[in-house]
Amino acid sequence: MANNLVAADNTRKQFIVVKIGSEQYGIDISYVDNIVRMQKITRVPKVQPYFKGIINLRGEIVPVMSIRTKMDLEPDEFTDVTRIIILKLEEHGVLGIVVDEVKEVVTLAPDEIDKVAYDAKNSKSNFINGVGKHGEELISLFDTNSIIDEPEMV
Amino acid sequence: MDVSQYLEIFIDETNGHLQNLSDCIMTLEKEPENMDTINEIFRAAHSLKGMAGTMGFKRMQRLTHDMENVFQEVRSGNMSVTSGLVDVLFQCLDAIEAYLDNVKESSDEGTDDNEAIIQELNEILAAGTGNTLPEKTEKVPVKQPGDEKHPKKYLDIEFSEKEKEELREAESKGMNIYGITVFIQEECLLKAARAFLVFKAVEDYGNIIAYNPSSQDIEDEKFGIDFSFYLVSEEGLEKILEVSRAVSEIEEVVGEKLKYSELTAAAEKKEAAQAAEQEAKAAEAKTEEKAVPAAPAQTKQAPAAAKKTNGGKPVTNRTVRVDIEKLDALMNQVSELIIAKNSLVSIGSSSDGGTGGASSQAFHEQIEYLERITTGLHESVMKVRMVPIESVVQKFPRMIRDLSKKLDKKMELFMTGEDTELDRTVVDQIGDPLQHLLRNSADHGLESTEVRRKRGKPEVGSIHLNAFQEGNNVIIEVSDDGNGIDTETVKEKAIERGLITPEQGETMTQKEIIDFLFMPSFSMAKKISDISGRGVGLDVVKSNIEALGGDVEVKSVLGEGSKFIVRLPLTLAIIQALMVEVRGEKYAISLGSIETIEEISPDEIKFVQAKEVIHIRGIVIPLIRLDQLLDCEPEDKERESLTVIIVRKGDKVAGLIVDELNGQQEIVIKSLGKYINNSSKIISGATVLGDGEVALILDVNTLF
Repeated sequence: MANNLVAADNTRKQFIVVKIGSEQYGIDISYVDNIVRMQKITRVPKVQPYFKGIINLRGEIVPVMSIRTKMDLEPDEFTDVTRIIILKLEEHGVLGIVVDEVKEVVTLAPDEIDKVAYDAKNSKSNFINGVGKHGEELISLFDTNSIIDEPEMV
Repeated sequence: MDVSQYLEIFIDETNGHLQNLSDCIMTLEKEPENMDTINEIFRAAHSLKGMAGTMGFKRMQRLTHDMENVFQEVRSGNMSVTSGLVDVLFQCLDAIEAYLDNVKESSDEGTDDNEAIIQELNEILAAGTGNTLPEKTEKVPVKQPGDEKHPKKYLDIEFSEKEKEELREAESKGMNIYGITVFIQEECLLKAARAFLVFKAVEDYGNIIAYNPSSQDIEDEKFGIDFSFYLVSEEGLEKILEVSRAVSEIEEVVGEKLKYSELTAAAEKKEAAQAAEQEAKAAEAKTEEKAVPAAPAQTKQAPAAAKKTNGGKPVTNRTVRVDIEKLDALMNQVSELIIAKNSLVSIGSSSDGGTGGASSQAFHEQIEYLERITTGLHESVMKVRMVPIESVVQKFPRMIRDLSKKLDKKMELFMTGEDTELDRTVVDQIGDPLQHLLRNSADHGLESTEVRRKRGKPEVGSIHLNAFQEGNNVIIEVSDDGNGIDTETVKEKAIERGLITPEQGETMTQKEIIDFLFMPSFSMAKKISDISGRGVGLDVVKSNIEALGGDVEVKSVLGEGSKFIVRLPLTLAIIQALMVEVRGEKYAISLGSIETIEEISPDEIKFVQAKEVIHIRGIVIPLIRLDQLLDCEPEDKERESLTVIIVRKGDKVAGLIVDELNGQQEIVIKSLGKYINNSSKIISGATVLGDGEVALILDVNTLF
């Protein structure tokens, strides 16, 4: 992980900017396999509460997770612009996350990204590993791996 | 080139020979006089020796060489087969197998010399030949007739200037020049590999100067059954011939020492060649006479081997070896095709309404055609993945034989249905559980010989392994005619362990008591033996089989024997399922576990121990409301009639209340992925329906 960051620091990175609630988040484009419209999610009983269920993505079964539930935000409201971002991770396979809206793709140079300090009190900050400055706007950058990680059960 | 590219062939062939040897020795134990079997063993041992030798596995070569020696004597009638010999032979097989395992892992045979076994073999050899039966020694080995069949084709080689130069140089250094022609058995399938092994063997002793056909042609297998070459070496001719003959499937090797002057003369003058041939014939005859004992054995063995292979194996190899991963990929694609087909079917049936007419009918016909094709394709792919259980069960007779010796009980194994086929992945994992059940029968099931005699049973206990197909399942039964399960003792043990109270014990059925045997660390063996009794036993069998989607059942009559019935699904990837709906959510239930479907009215529901049950045809069936189990929203009002699916696992039944039935369908099982923490295991997977919707697959086995 640390190595990745060091290596990545020298290059400009592309992020997909999405809206969740009132905030803008960036997802490293190298992890994004696909973006699909909201579709029927089949509920799976007896699983973690933040899993909305599974969808059929061209014949493949893809689990879909609510990032809002995981970040302790108010529950999702599905609209015309709601999208499912399909992430693809080397050894873990595919996973969908629900976002309110997909805005654009931005390219950020290393000097446009500020690291954020870890704050144990703020559960949201656990998923963020940097803040990108794109013009006037601020974009919280997701740490893709921590989105996937199981939260420690208290 | 190096030997490693032939390692796979070596491993495959050695495995084949070992299984063959094992079968033959089993036969030999029963019919010690069977000449065909003895010849077969000799041949297999000889081939093993040759292969091990050329691959450079000296220890394995030595062991097989000694085995071959013993059978050489048995063949010629100088000694007879004793049970002691059979025991040692089995030890040899185990030792060779150990070598082979080492080879598989590290491409090296390991360092175990197995001196003890070799010594035993030699002792038996010495003892056996000591008391030779005089009337049997009259068998005279048949001499290989002349050389008409094996002409010295090496004389036809024409040398280039460069090769002549090399030959002259070698001779001036005091090396010998040999002309050699090798004849490969006609049935040989890998002639190029054999040729390579011959070259590899002789190159340990010298350099090959010229080839006929060219080395490239030999490598590409562009030659008949023979090839020739010239070798310069410091070693004697006999040694060279011996190592070449040691390669398996080589019929004969002819060769002689030649002078450079003779060679050039031969190439230039035909008459000279003829003369050289005459001379060579004489030389050959001489080497025949003073050849080491192995040489006549060689010539005798070759025709026998040829006869055998003609009868047994098909002349051409009609099989291909395919990586299981490729089959999995193919299977996945067929699964996709079935999903696509299902969606076409559902479009077809939904657009059925008003359109009608000829085009619609043609559409339906084509869909039906497509359905037939996909079903056929699916079956074919499944068949490709199916392998007979033979590969697993063929080692069992040997195991039972060993157990019989070890436990000092007389027993015999009878197997039927070895050709029953199962999915490859199932077959790979069924070996251990079956082995365990057989050991269990041998150790705990069968009584000792004395007890059997007292009880008036035949002294030799019998264990049966029967496999057969039943609908979408394969049943494998392991039964014995031993003591059966003493449920009273099991009950006592359970009470002793504090698993149940004596009062509970009173009311338990025989089935429930037998189920204790499948609990972890519940061993009934009075003392721990090598064979069983460590408490890791039937519970592992049960969990292994359940992991494959199967189950185990036991039937036992005290004093008469017990029978373990293993039920396995034919396939793991595609199943027939009943589609049901609960609050609008779709679920699939495997048809295999469904008994019946009942319509009941809510007032038929009774309560037993505060749990809902129904009483149908004399059976009390506990009810499970799927909507509650699956955390669905509760319904406002009770329905007027309820649909209950009666499912069965072994002897237990339960009724699942569902809202609606959606018919039966062929579904493709897909995993839910790793992210979802599906610890309750109620949902065993998901499937994509014809309209693209996703349905979850309920594993009813987890409900009991």
